[in-house]
Amino acid sequence: MGTFIQLVVDGLSTGSIYAALALAIVLVNQATGLINFAQGGMAVLSAYTAYAFLQLGLPLIVAILVAVVISFLMGAVIERLLVRRFEGGDPDTAVVVTIGLLTLVTGISAVLWGYNNLAFPSLFPLTSVEILGAVVSVRSLATTVTIVAIMVVLQVLFLRTKLGLALRAVADNPGSAAFSGLPVGRLLMVGWGLAAVLGAIAGVLVAPQLTLTPGMLDTALVYALAAVILGGLSSPIGCVVAASAIGVLENLVAVYVPLIGHDLKIAVPFVLIFVILVIRPQGLFGRKVVVRV
Amino acid sequence: MPAMSSVLANKSTRVILIAVVAIALVVAPLILPAFTNQTLVRIGVYAVAVLGLNIVMGYTGQVNLGQIFFVGLGAYVTAYGVNHDWNIILVFVAACVVPGLVGLLVALAAARLGGLAIAMVTIALPIVGVPLAKRLDEFTGGSQGTSARFTDAPDWSGLYNDQWQFYIVLLVTAAAFLLGRSLVRGKYGRAFGVVRENEAVAASMGISPYRTKVLAFTVASIFGGASGFLYLAAVQYTSPETLSFGHSISLVAAMVIGGAGSIAGALIGGAYYVFVPQLTNAIDPNLTTISQGAILLVVLFLLPQGLVSLPRVVRRLFRRRTSRSSLPGNPPQNSPVHQPATDAAREGLEKTERQDRS
Amino acid sequence: MKIRNKPDGVLGIVAMASIIALSLSGCARDGAGQGNGSGSSPGITDTAITLGVTTPLSGPTAGPGTCTVAGLAAYFGSVNAAGGVEFGDGKTRTVDIKSYDDAYDPQKALSNFQQMVSDGVFAVTSGLGTPTNRAFREAAISQQVPQVLVMTGDPLFSDREESPWQLGFVPIYENEGAAFGKLLAESDAQHKVAILSQNDDYGKGYVAGFKEAIGGAANVSVVGELTYEATDTSVDAQLTQLAASGADVFFNAMSITPLVISSLQKAQQIGWTPSWFLPSNTSSPTAILQPGGAGAYPGIYSVSFSKAPQSPAFAQDADVVKFLADLKQYGNYPDMPAFPHCMWSYMVGATLEEAFKNMTEPTRENFMTALRDIKGLQAPLMLEGTAVDTTTDGQPAVSTVLVQKYDGRGYGTVENFG
Repeated sequence: MGTFIQLVVDGLSTGSIYAALALAIVLVNQATGLINFAQGGMAVLSAYTAYAFLQLGLPLIVAILVAVVISFLMGAVIERLLVRRFEGGDPDTAVVVTIGLLTLVTGISAVLWGYNNLAFPSLFPLTSVEILGAVVSVRSLATTVTIVAIMVVLQVLFLRTKLGLALRAVADNPGSAAFSGLPVGRLLMVGWGLAAVLGAIAGVLVAPQLTLTPGMLDTALVYALAAVILGGLSSPIGCVVAASAIGVLENLVAVYVPLIGHDLKIAVPFVLIFVILVIRPQGLFGRKVVVRV
Repeated sequence: MPAMSSVLANKSTRVILIAVVAIALVVAPLILPAFTNQTLVRIGVYAVAVLGLNIVMGYTGQVNLGQIFFVGLGAYVTAYGVNHDWNIILVFVAACVVPGLVGLLVALAAARLGGLAIAMVTIALPIVGVPLAKRLDEFTGGSQGTSARFTDAPDWSGLYNDQWQFYIVLLVTAAAFLLGRSLVRGKYGRAFGVVRENEAVAASMGISPYRTKVLAFTVASIFGGASGFLYLAAVQYTSPETLSFGHSISLVAAMVIGGAGSIAGALIGGAYYVFVPQLTNAIDPNLTTISQGAILLVVLFLLPQGLVSLPRVVRRLFRRRTSRSSLPGNPPQNSPVHQPATDAAREGLEKTERQDRS
Repeated sequence: MKIRNKPDGVLGIVAMASIIALSLSGCARDGAGQGNGSGSSPGITDTAITLGVTTPLSGPTAGPGTCTVAGLAAYFGSVNAAGGVEFGDGKTRTVDIKSYDDAYDPQKALSNFQQMVSDGVFAVTSGLGTPTNRAFREAAISQQVPQVLVMTGDPLFSDREESPWQLGFVPIYENEGAAFGKLLAESDAQHKVAILSQNDDYGKGYVAGFKEAIGGAANVSVVGELTYEATDTSVDAQLTQLAASGADVFFNAMSITPLVISSLQKAQQIGWTPSWFLPSNTSSPTAILQPGGAGAYPGIYSVSFSKAPQSPAFAQDADVVKFLADLKQYGNYPDMPAFPHCMWSYMVGATLEEAFKNMTEPTRENFMTALRDIKGLQAPLMLEGTAVDTTTDGQPAVSTVLVQKYDGRGYGTVENFG
């Protein structure tokens, strides 16, 4: 029983890594209608930026805040100078552009900081606490709490604020959003900027555990995408629930279903996606999209 | 330029041109240096994979992030067959049929889903494929991979290995492209296009979107398998790294860069997939990631319709130069610097979607 | 659906043809052949010899990959600056290194090999990776191009009959696992061992060597055995599961730096403090053990044949000082190396230099003969008690390893467990 609870707790803490990135993907998708493959790479670059300011002698929290501001600008500039050209065009092309962006950003991180694993300090201590007989570090706990807080903020942003509604309107239909007087261009930049901020926070949250490397979030990106699709593209809550579920289920299946084991546990989220999407095409928490002819 | 177009459009000229290209392709390996032949062989390998991807993604509009899985499966089937002394024709058939069947099974389930969901189901193929290939080490050789040499030039031919491989790959690649071309220009090609544009309209025209998607997906898997056969002909070794997810993403990038919805684009995409790593290695082997990203973005920024649209964009630029006065209204959000390319691409949009299908 | 669109396809092919034409620049078939009229092999002149390295310089394995080039470039950069190597035929040559990125992709490794042949490289060396080296092994044999001192513990590369033009450099994985197994089997106490290994030939090799070494020992039993994938972000579940087995020794054949650090942290969090075994490439005191809080465990054991530049014990060592200076000046690698591959490829340089000194003819055949005849070479950075020996069939250039124990700052060689 102790092992079982420990596995669940471990799964939740792994899931929080996926959730952090998944939230950024949801945000950019809600704001621009795109899936951004570069989200992980941009988050890593943000974490490196924080690291660079840390090296300059700034306190950790200040370095992170500076990196967050720079990330907002970076996101907005990337949208304006690069992604804008592909808005409204073939969506495949736009996705490939974000793939190119991922490659470029990863390359930039590698050139500036190399491929060595860099130790990134954590905001939270590594001491552990016991919950229901399971041991969990304060760091994982605090990471999870931060992510849940971000999730709530996002949920409120999208459903309760004018900015959120405007962002969604632009993503849904840029043409009619422009007709109703929304500053479409600026909103798109804000959407990308906010997603980059979220990415930056995700990056500095998970960097202490994964250590900084240019490809730090490559595997997490796949899981984050799975969580986003599973939870429903439009729902921050959904993707956090999905990410946690993936983390926990993977662990349980790996340990208790020997046929699958630790090597094939990565199949679990995808089988889950498949089953759930056949039943509920819009994902666990997603809004149903009505296709107009 | 228009004069040139009409010359090219002339039927007998085209026949002659095709004949010249065919003869050039047959003679070329005899005079080209080995490394060029080897490069052309690899282009053939990936051109076939990109062609399959183009059929399901470019023509039918279904995102497929799992194409490399079928390439890897084809390669493993080929290795298994060769190492068990199957007849080479049988090996080739198996390398196409097995991935085709797996593709069919996946498609039967996945084609019910739309949009991003289908993307996630296809992403799962290479991601689960890698550990699966390690697990099934009786068939795959596990993480050490498996070698199979069957494309060394036989003594009677008097050819070098690279020349012999060139002819094998040329044969399969040419057949695949002719097949692909007639597929997308025929009845099924039109069905693909309608499903891509609007599934509801397709249904109202009596075209089943589900069956059309399954067909496109299966055809793509078969081409992937054929590409896997060629992979083993060229590389003579395969391991779980062959089907790693990153390569699948690179294939999608190559397809879009070459030109989605274009047969020639698939060939260019294959060339891009092979050339760019070589080029970036030549620039600076320590900067390959950054230069690959930059090249991809620059190409797409200048040619959003892919490299295949280059001649059209160039032609349009020429026409613009000669009749500068008749510019259409400027779209407000674009900076004037990029004006010509943007307009060309914009106008190219409707054309690309129809190209090679008329 | 207009006819006028058709020429686009043709024009596309013309564009394609011109792309191909661009690629034809330079190379000709005679450059690719085996040897030429003058009797010397490609890639060697009276004043210079060119070596090629294909290794991951991008992607997840780029960290160690970059090191395999940096160490080699550092060694020969320093040698060239001193005038070059005096070969056995009396001529002094400088050594040029050409590196190629394969991103750990077998297909790209083969492509790089073909490019090297076309670029006139004398021998391929130092590259990291089992699948990538295997991808062009047979091509190297059929073209008779040396593929030597490569960084893989795959025994195939040291089998002379199977691989006449190959030689591995680092000890085969089995040797490292066996060295620790032997230590444990000779211990007086009873031991329960939990095993975690990477799900590939790297992990399997370690485990196979270890199990063989403890085969006859009555005092050692394996109570848990799991694997993980090199791409995993976390191995918490495996550790939780293994901790429940109550093992007092943890054999962790893991090659991923952040996973080793988080394993060290996780195990002590859940109250499991066994003695650890870690492989030679993931046991760096500064990069792994300190951030992992290794002091909490009764013992961290590893195997090595190279001095650790991070270790205070070697801070003043002449080899280490020169190595770090060379690495900075010629290897384009200013940091303290976090991967042992930097040291290993430096030793590869020394081994190659030894072979060059004994080469009496500028041919690849002669080079292979000279390379296979090195015994008792104490390359710079090698630990006391280890040496390069290329004369034993089935063994790579380095086959002896010493078991070491972490002492809180660096490592010391140990004879007994505990």
